[in-house]
Amino acid sequence: MRRSGVIWSWFWMILGILYFFLPLLATFLFSLRAELGHLGFKAYSNVFNDPGFQLKFPASVLWAVLTIIVAIVVFVPTAYWVRLKVPQFRSAVELITLLPFVIPAIVYVFGLVRTFSQPPLLIVDSPALLVAGYTMLSMPYMYRAIDTGLRAIDVQTLTEAAQSLGAGWGTILFRVIFPNIRVSILSGAFLSFAIVMGEYTLAQYLAKPAFAPYIALLIQNKAYEPAAATIISFALIWACMGIIQVIGGGEQGQITGGH
Amino acid sequence: MTHLTLKNISKEFGDATAVQDFNLDVEQGEFVSFLGPSGCGKTTTLRMVAGFEIPTRGTITINGVDVTNNAPNQRNVGMIFQAYALFPNMTVAQNIGFGLRIRKESESVIKDRVAEMLSLIHLESKADSYPYQLSGGQQQRVALGRALANQPQVLLLDEPLSALDAKIRVQLRSEIRAIQKKMGITAVFVTHDQEEALSISDRIVVMYEGKIEQVGSPFEVYNFPKTAFVANFVGTLNTASAEVVDPVKGILSMDGVKFVSAENLQDRKKGDAVKFSIRPERFSFASEIKKDNVLDCTIENITFLGSVVRIRVKIGNTKFNMDTFNNPFLELPKIGDKDQVTCSREAVLVLDD
Repeated sequence: MRRSGVIWSWFWMILGILYFFLPLLATFLFSLRAELGHLGFKAYSNVFNDPGFQLKFPASVLWAVLTIIVAIVVFVPTAYWVRLKVPQFRSAVELITLLPFVIPAIVYVFGLVRTFSQPPLLIVDSPALLVAGYTMLSMPYMYRAIDTGLRAIDVQTLTEAAQSLGAGWGTILFRVIFPNIRVSILSGAFLSFAIVMGEYTLAQYLAKPAFAPYIALLIQNKAYEPAAATIISFALIWACMGIIQVIGGGEQGQITGGH
Repeated sequence: MTHLTLKNISKEFGDATAVQDFNLDVEQGEFVSFLGPSGCGKTTTLRMVAGFEIPTRGTITINGVDVTNNAPNQRNVGMIFQAYALFPNMTVAQNIGFGLRIRKESESVIKDRVAEMLSLIHLESKADSYPYQLSGGQQQRVALGRALANQPQVLLLDEPLSALDAKIRVQLRSEIRAIQKKMGITAVFVTHDQEEALSISDRIVVMYEGKIEQVGSPFEVYNFPKTAFVANFVGTLNTASAEVVDPVKGILSMDGVKFVSAENLQDRKKGDAVKFSIRPERFSFASEIKKDNVLDCTIENITFLGSVVRIRVKIGNTKFNMDTFNNPFLELPKIGDKDQVTCSREAVLVLDD
């Protein structure tokens, strides 16, 4: 019984790995066939040399980084305050954070365009609106990751301990709360990064340079380059996440009780 | 000199009154414990001193300054929590130096003060450890060092020993008391553990349902409880109902069994119903010492508690506990035996209504 359980565990794990990696492998092999008769990296070279890629991939990275910064600045104090001062509203706030799952992006983007394309809020051309939109889309991931991190620490007692030692709200937030939920913020940041890099609707309808609309355009006009761009984006996104991990990670005290 | 004053303090949460008309003066360097069961308002009162709760009515002054509406970070009050509340991302030294950094003290002052505190709590070798690398007792000592590093005007301790095992608890409470005395700091300690309060305090404030039941030294609170609640809550106690037979001579009758009390019953009338109490250790077998109250009894039960043997006796229709020191060379009575127990008239305490 125990042995068969182990076999099934391995079976499902291998199945999961195949489900994830087989399409990636197929895409990769297809991307190598740009030149007739032999395998090579011609499609990759074409993508790297394409001015569209050179403009739109870094643009998406920039939007993602700005989104993460705005999301941290907005959601960490919000989640902290809700948990500390109005815990009775936690369920309501959680429900609000899930709205991007139930409101289709196309509805959302038309709402943004209608609201912000007329005075006094004429900012439809500003990149700030795109970042604000992405921040909303990242909310379910970012807020819940932060909230989970806050649940792992005794927010109220740590806050009161810091207050009794003379700390104000800013100090508490930046020197006590932020460092102790860093891992949760990072995981939320990873998800937000991936969401922004792959998001099509907002960038397309707000007419801003972004990577997802670029790939969509590439698919319509080329055969092998979209596959190469997909593999490149996959590798670059993972590299960017690694950089975030290096910058934001590092050694920190484990959050557990005494032994 | 009065250092901390709580005057007519009340705290209401909606319709519920947590603390009602609380008045207390605490002297400089005094160690005062708030003792009571869960929900009696002791922690709420402490949190009002800390500034985490604002009183609905009344004033709190520290060193003559009204701090009733001051924010917690403007009171210079040190607080120790049951859950330690060390910052997990900081080392022991960083935790202790946290408050000093907030005050923007120079690095040399912080270094010296942290070293002094580490020495005080005997954790010099753990300066670079993180909280998760320490035992519960060590974490609480760091919390003590951190609270004292700022040289607070008042040290508040919210059940700081509750999460520790029995042996560490006893050791740490002695350390806390020794450090408090050495530094001459005013301390308020919240506990529901009567032994803890009796052993550590200069004065005990016994609380029940948001009100003060009695304030006094551990000796007074234990030996001369003012109310039935204090008598029952502090230590083990026998309480019984009786009626006054002779107010002048202090004679009571419990179901026809006569007790003589040394208490002044001049304000009672013959026939008044009263409650009286006797500590279990104040009873002894009549064969040992002859005292004022010699009472026929039946042995109902015998429980061995280590250094003490608790014997349940039935006097009249009421059951009483009697504690006697464990002496392996003395034969204990048997269950069902008829015997006589005795206690002095001073042991019979008539309780306030």
